[in-house]
Amino acid sequence: MSLYMRQVWAVVWKDALLELRTRERLVAMGAFAVLAAVLFNYSIDTAVVRPQDVAAGLVWMTIVFGGLLGIGRTFHLEAQDDALQGVLTSPAPKDAVFLGKAFANFVLLYLVSLLVLGVFTLFFGLDLGSNLGGLTLSLGLGALGFVSLGTLFSAVTAGTRMGETLLPILVFPLLVPVVIYGVGATSRLLASRPLSEVAGSLRMLAAFAVASLAVGAVLFRFVVED
Amino acid sequence: MDRPNGSPAPVLEASGLVREYGPVVAVAGIDVSLVPGEFLTIFGPNGAGKSSLLGMLAGALRPTAGTVRIRGDAIDAGGTEWRRHVGVLSHRGFLYHQLTVHENLRFYGMLFGVPDLDHRIDARLRQVGLDRRAAVRVQALSHGMRQRLSLARALLHDPALVLLDEPYTGLDPSAAALLRDVLMELRDGHRTVVMVTHNLREGLELATRVAIQVGGRFAWEGSVEGLIRSDFERFYHEVVEERS
Amino acid sequence: MSISGMRRAGTTLAVLGLLGLVGVYWLSFFWVPTEATQGIAQRIFYVHVPAAWTAFLAFGLSALTSGMYLWLRDERLDRAALAAAEGGMVFATIMLMTGPLWGKIAWGTFWTWEPRLTLTLLLWFIFLGYFMVRSSTENPEKGKRFAAVVAIVGALDIPFIHLSVLWFRSLHPQPVVVKPEGPTLPGDMLTLLLTSLAVFTVLFFGLFLLRYALEGLRAGLDERTRRVSALST
Repeated sequence: MSLYMRQVWAVVWKDALLELRTRERLVAMGAFAVLAAVLFNYSIDTAVVRPQDVAAGLVWMTIVFGGLLGIGRTFHLEAQDDALQGVLTSPAPKDAVFLGKAFANFVLLYLVSLLVLGVFTLFFGLDLGSNLGGLTLSLGLGALGFVSLGTLFSAVTAGTRMGETLLPILVFPLLVPVVIYGVGATSRLLASRPLSEVAGSLRMLAAFAVASLAVGAVLFRFVVED
Repeated sequence: MDRPNGSPAPVLEASGLVREYGPVVAVAGIDVSLVPGEFLTIFGPNGAGKSSLLGMLAGALRPTAGTVRIRGDAIDAGGTEWRRHVGVLSHRGFLYHQLTVHENLRFYGMLFGVPDLDHRIDARLRQVGLDRRAAVRVQALSHGMRQRLSLARALLHDPALVLLDEPYTGLDPSAAALLRDVLMELRDGHRTVVMVTHNLREGLELATRVAIQVGGRFAWEGSVEGLIRSDFERFYHEVVEERS
Repeated sequence: MSISGMRRAGTTLAVLGLLGLVGVYWLSFFWVPTEATQGIAQRIFYVHVPAAWTAFLAFGLSALTSGMYLWLRDERLDRAALAAAEGGMVFATIMLMTGPLWGKIAWGTFWTWEPRLTLTLLLWFIFLGYFMVRSSTENPEKGKRFAAVVAIVGALDIPFIHLSVLWFRSLHPQPVVVKPEGPTLPGDMLTLLLTSLAVFTVLFFGLFLLRYALEGLRAGLDERTRRVSALST
């Protein structure tokens, strides 16, 4: 493994280990997912609306809100003992640190999004049919884009007085494409449409993910330098 | 700094360092030049800008003006190679409390690309007396032990330049003795050390060069041979009074 | 260009722009023919559309200068980004206020998810984020860097947002068919639109230069204050 990959892996490994030890974010996001699904269930008047029709949108909104919870804490782990300084003064390039953090966040968010899908399938009686692969793919691609922007901006908000409360304001406008294409694909797939019909949306999600990872990797150094 | 011709190439060369925080000038123009084996201790009252100076030498703070060269490479040139040659011990620790001693070192070892990592970790842990606590989480360690771990972390990649910011703070006598031993080993091993400390006795004992920083500048700077150890405390206060 | 030179240029452009604006208003009320389907309310179009165009132009300028600022670290580039962002936000606000007004009068609804309106609304919030981030740091230098990042990411995201909103719209046609104009605008209307576009652009650059000069003066004042207080310590 090249040194660069090793450095990225070091950050991912360390964040994963910390998450396993503390389980802070996983539990918070997981609980949020389940409780949100419960609340959403009560917020829909089933006499007027079929749950299956709105499920895709609710799944994604739950992932977005729950995701923000977890991602907002990305740099909290480092705040104790100013550990981030230690990482930044190491020879690891800033983009490697960013990619490591983003990927660690991705694993966390992807797990949570699968949980959300599972919970909504259960509570709303969804039919996943043969589209499980497509569904997990759309969630994964959306999560990747989300996580890139979220990681970059959580580094920004960590340096502000307002902190995490600023994160939704910064990130929500930028997430519109993810929500539109993600929900677009998910609702089709949940309606048992073939995968080929959502290929365009998936391509856009992938393009967005790649673009936001690249931009995040380039701009991260300007956010964390002093 | 005046130096005889034919000296080895400097490990650290900083010139015209200035650091401003908005209207506040913390460092107002400082030069530092050190060759391998030199041990510079920087004394000074609080607010003299010592931590800011060290931060700039470590590449953690961007100088408002001035340059820093580590082994000839300018550190603002964009590369990260030079960071392999620098080890930093700050009072901030840089430790992850939920991870064990070994895991903390493993993480930093991977970031620094340390070869033969497991052996190096074992060796350093033995050096700082933590080898029997390798599997203990940092949150369960006393302050003195955490300092020792931070020291092991700073030295894990065998850096040519070691920067220490107030390393004696909060250390019990045995930990302080261990620190002195390790620092002497570094000096004898031709590593270069810059240490900021309030501890006049310890700081003077190890130094080859001494600087007294007041108000963002070196009020006095020179070889330790130009000083009388027994008289240093009085001398220090005199310099600080004069410049304040 | 010196600061006073910039202020002169800025004032000239702004005055020209304002005069032009008066002209545009007059023309849109008294000269251009009434649009067939929407009646008098459609005239707001000649203010509404150029305002949007200017807002996006301003944002592009802000993002560009932000990128250069991060690269070259010249304070003046950051000041330009700030000035452009402020101007842009003003025009975006104008667009967002005239849009629903037009909608209500012409079609009976304040808000339809018309792609341009939606995009401008999101742009407005990205501007908001720019200013909030800029002023919420302890260290002002950090605030400038953070804001620059917001501007750059925002600008890069806008094409994606645009595509996605357009696509969404194509799937979910709104009950009210909103077609403010087609590619085939009758002669006079097109002329007025283009004129208005030019007027708004001139007005924006006038305001931009004035704001930029103001920021430059402020920076100069800060610098002098600092030097004076440094002398007295």
